[in-house]
Amino acid sequence: MKLQPSQWAALQDMVTQALAETSRSLSQMTTGEIRLDSPQLSFLPLRELPGVAGGPDAVVTAVYVGIEGELQGHVIVLFQPREARAMVDLLLGDPAGTCRELDELGRSALAEVGNICGSAFINAIADRSGLEVRPTPPLLVEDMAGAILETVATDLLLSGDEALVITTAFNGAVPGHFLLMPNTESMARLITTLEAIR
Amino acid sequence: MNGCRMEAVGLGELKVADKPDQVLVCYGLGSCVGLALYDPVARIGAMVHVVLPESSMGRGREAPPGKYADTGVEAALAALVDAGASRSRLIAKAAGGARMLRLAGSNPKLDIGARNTEAVRAALARHQIKLVAEDTGGTYGRTLQLYIKTGRVLVSTVGRGEHEL
Repeated sequence: MKLQPSQWAALQDMVTQALAETSRSLSQMTTGEIRLDSPQLSFLPLRELPGVAGGPDAVVTAVYVGIEGELQGHVIVLFQPREARAMVDLLLGDPAGTCRELDELGRSALAEVGNICGSAFINAIADRSGLEVRPTPPLLVEDMAGAILETVATDLLLSGDEALVITTAFNGAVPGHFLLMPNTESMARLITTLEAIR
Repeated sequence: MNGCRMEAVGLGELKVADKPDQVLVCYGLGSCVGLALYDPVARIGAMVHVVLPESSMGRGREAPPGKYADTGVEAALAALVDAGASRSRLIAKAAGGARMLRLAGSNPKLDIGARNTEAVRAALARHQIKLVAEDTGGTYGRTLQLYIKTGRVLVSTVGRGEHEL
């Protein structure tokens, strides 16, 4: 999708707001401070999507939250296994290296990260565009990145060829991939609405 | 891997191979279906990474040859024959077609993985190619490999091991 500089700026502002809200909520949930650093935004051809997080056969922990309402899309937060465990330590306030295997508690902590991220994005969209959107309950999946992302790519391929991918890191140390993927119609609508408001 | 050349077959791609050291691979199949076709006499194989069941679901733009089950199977057969394989000797094996996530906004009855599997079966049947083995469905990802030297087909998963199809 070709965006004008002003449209990029509007989109970046929205993402920055969403990540700031995510940082705030995550910090409240934990004992320490959790920051999401300098997001990088890019549009990626859908056929490249399955390889975005370490290759299509890389094992990942993914949290999926759907967007429903006036915009339709998908938010996915992806962690590679080591990152997922580091994130759990961060969330539970344990010293780094404590979590060696994802247990029920770790899984629900990560699902909550997905929930918070998804909700923050949805709030930022609603706040800046005035569109009515809502998140679906989070789903946690541990499997090959390709298998998870392909399923989403397939849905998006019905309406477009690209996905908006946001890459960030938690506290500058734990890399995570956020994928905010409105379908093509929704993306166009979001951009138009953001522009009109600016 | 022991002098083998792994060649990834990405979303919607179709690849034909005839060198003994080649291995065609669909990595991380979710709702997509990987189809391996092999002529054991000519030792020529092909792999298709099917994304959607029917070309009628397309948006009227050019699509990669393996994107749809119906056109993908047809294109694979044509490419194999072109490369010197015999249609009547072809062995077909498939994996994938899982349901990884219940996506928001999608019709719960529209299980794209199951439809992809069904469409691959139907396309093969239309061309009188026998599907001798499949590992499809479920809610987990699969990697499919076809070894050109031997025709061996392997399916690997996360936590469910690896097995021969």
